[in-house]
Amino acid sequence: MDPLRAQQLAAELEVDMMADMYNRMTQACHRKCVPPHYKDAELSKGECVCLDRCVAKYLEVHERMGKKLTELSLQDEELLKRVQQGTGTA
Amino acid sequence: QPQSHAPQLRDFLLVYNRMTELCFRHCVCNLNYRLLTTREESCLDACAGRLVRANHRLMGSYVGLMPAIIQRRSTYYEDSTA
Repeated sequence: MDPLRAQQLAAELEVDMMADMYNRMTQACHRKCVPPHYKDAELSKGECVCLDRCVAKYLEVHERMGKKLTELSLQDEELLKRVQQGTGTA
Repeated sequence: QPQSHAPQLRDFLLVYNRMTELCFRHCVCNLNYRLLTTREESCLDACAGRLVRANHRLMGSYVGLMPAIIQRRSTYYEDSTA
């Protein structure tokens, strides 16, 4: 496959994933910050501030999870390599 | 090569997003601050570790059980069409 097409696919995938993350974030923060009492159409100041903080935290969690996943999958690769080497020499 | 890995990469990234959502929902309760508290951070680390290990275990069990099921299914169809 030509590298340009690969790059295009990677970019599309990234956009899809960002959109997916955004949707999940919206849902999660709405649940945490906007109580289901629909008397008034306006958001209170507290709710607004909560939403701001929620977004900040969600993005940080996203970053943290990414690092943790890479860390854990690297550990797995190491383990797998060692297992393969072990069975190879055994 | 990237093309052959694309569906797996997509699945992996979806798992990543789901993990983020799940662990956020469970661990982040204190919206008085913009930064994560130490308690939240340790909860998130634990959550990530658990989810990954649970996933591995699940995969192991699935891979162990599926061949038998596929075999049964194929013999069933062979018998019914014969």
